[in-house]
Amino acid sequence: MNSAMTFRSALAAFLLSAVSATGAFAQDRIAVLTHAPVAAAEVPADAIVVNIDKMKYDVPELTVQAGDTVYWVNKEVMPHNVAFKKGIVGDGDFRGEMLKKDQAYAITFNEAGDFEYFCTPHPFMRGKVIVE
Amino acid sequence: MAALPRESTPGYLRLLGAGLTCSVLALGAAQAQTGTEPAEDADAAAAAAADGQTHGQRAAAEAAAALAAGEADEPVILKAPAPDTRRVYVQDPAHFAAVTQQYVIDGASGRVLGMTDGGFLPHPLAAEDGSFFAQVSSVWSRIARGDREDYVEVFDSETLRPIADIAIPDDAQRFLVGTYQWMNALTPDNKTLLYYQFSPAPAVGVVDLEEQKFDRLLDVPDCYHIFPASPTVFYMNCRDGSLARVDFAGGETEVTNTEVFHTEEELLINHPAFSLRSGRLVWPTYTGKIFQMDLTEEGVNFRPPFEALTEAERADDWRPGGWQQTAYHRPSDRIYLLVDQRDEWRHKTASRFVVVMNAATGERIDMLELGHEIDSINVSQDAEPLLYGLSSGSRTLHIYDAASGQELRSVDQLGRGPQILMTHDMGA
Repeated sequence: MNSAMTFRSALAAFLLSAVSATGAFAQDRIAVLTHAPVAAAEVPADAIVVNIDKMKYDVPELTVQAGDTVYWVNKEVMPHNVAFKKGIVGDGDFRGEMLKKDQAYAITFNEAGDFEYFCTPHPFMRGKVIVE
Repeated sequence: MAALPRESTPGYLRLLGAGLTCSVLALGAAQAQTGTEPAEDADAAAAAAADGQTHGQRAAAEAAAALAAGEADEPVILKAPAPDTRRVYVQDPAHFAAVTQQYVIDGASGRVLGMTDGGFLPHPLAAEDGSFFAQVSSVWSRIARGDREDYVEVFDSETLRPIADIAIPDDAQRFLVGTYQWMNALTPDNKTLLYYQFSPAPAVGVVDLEEQKFDRLLDVPDCYHIFPASPTVFYMNCRDGSLARVDFAGGETEVTNTEVFHTEEELLINHPAFSLRSGRLVWPTYTGKIFQMDLTEEGVNFRPPFEALTEAERADDWRPGGWQQTAYHRPSDRIYLLVDQRDEWRHKTASRFVVVMNAATGERIDMLELGHEIDSINVSQDAEPLLYGLSSGSRTLHIYDAASGQELRSVDQLGRGPQILMTHDMGA
């Protein structure tokens, strides 16, 4: 019995690690420090910031260096997020958490390339991060 | 069994009629309804009317006579009569239920000819020449959860059997939304079906009905609805206030925008009327200002807008309202608009009146009182049109003479929340 449980636990651990590895691989080109939004007040003073206001990303095309972290800050009560279609930041799609007013979301871009994004409930809101 | 009350005889016959109705329905056949009889049974209808009988009562009498004469009952699967301009389809989104139904109705007699089943918020389409009807639908492996599958289903107009089932790929899923009549469309040659995708980005799916296969997804600007003007050109209404012309001939996608034709304050409703045969697009605002465009493969002719309601009426809180609020009768060039007195932000509540207008001049021809809380309207495209008024609340289709506004007949028990009325424009 004990050995069976151990085997099951090992199998479960293996499966979990495989799932985690797949997830990490899928989002290899970016890293998200925390999936939950943070307060805008916590954004570092020298951060690279894209503000969201009046149903727009205020810097629709932003150029950064590989390894840079970009913060999106929602300035209005209408909730917004940052999302990537399938194949942009990994094999699958990526959907950032919704930001309420004065909430921020940070993404670190690890690889050079063009990263087009959009707001999930407002697909007409689009932006691009160019990583050099 | 207790003695029947004095007035029970008609009730007894109604019950018998209802029983027969259920049997007939189970065979996939026409459902008996109250109201005027079909044209081919005009004599019998006249006799029935003289007797004060409903169709169900007459069917019951006929069945009793057949039984008395020793005629055997031979159940068969019936075909619907060939489609004509007075056939009307009633789609019931059923308040966002996972499965839905559509009723195929003969407007001339007020009888249900048949039904089709659909998945979640299916979008119905009808070939103008009556050769087929179709739907774009969505189902899940466990009713309302599990793996999602979008597909196009084409039905034979008479047997109602599916004659095509075309899968839509997972990365080209359609827009799930309260059914808007022109969010999906057939091209005028009936060879292509176009459907809209909202997320992750605005796109239009192309389904090749001839080859019975999904073709491709067209990237389009931030625009909505689909109004085909040729086999390879359609128009959309864009957030910026313009129309987009999309040409997808030869595997390419070429998009151009027209001038901006309305302001941000002029809110165009979700239910414009459009004639695939003439290319006329009729688009009211929340206040009843009517924009009209003639769409051709080459471009758009914007007609001068006009007001459906007078200044005095607008000052007295008259506004359009409902679901499918607009109808256009192509042969007479007339516009029909659902209106009533209402608060500005009650634009989806039912209306009790229809304004009839000359589309060429904007002149009011009539204001019809419907006598019911009506959510959706449409008209048959024959010379003496029927006006269809659908009540989602009472789940009843009311059928009027479009010229006089007189209610001729009605069909009830149409699902749980019927909303969309669709016809065939079978004229030249």
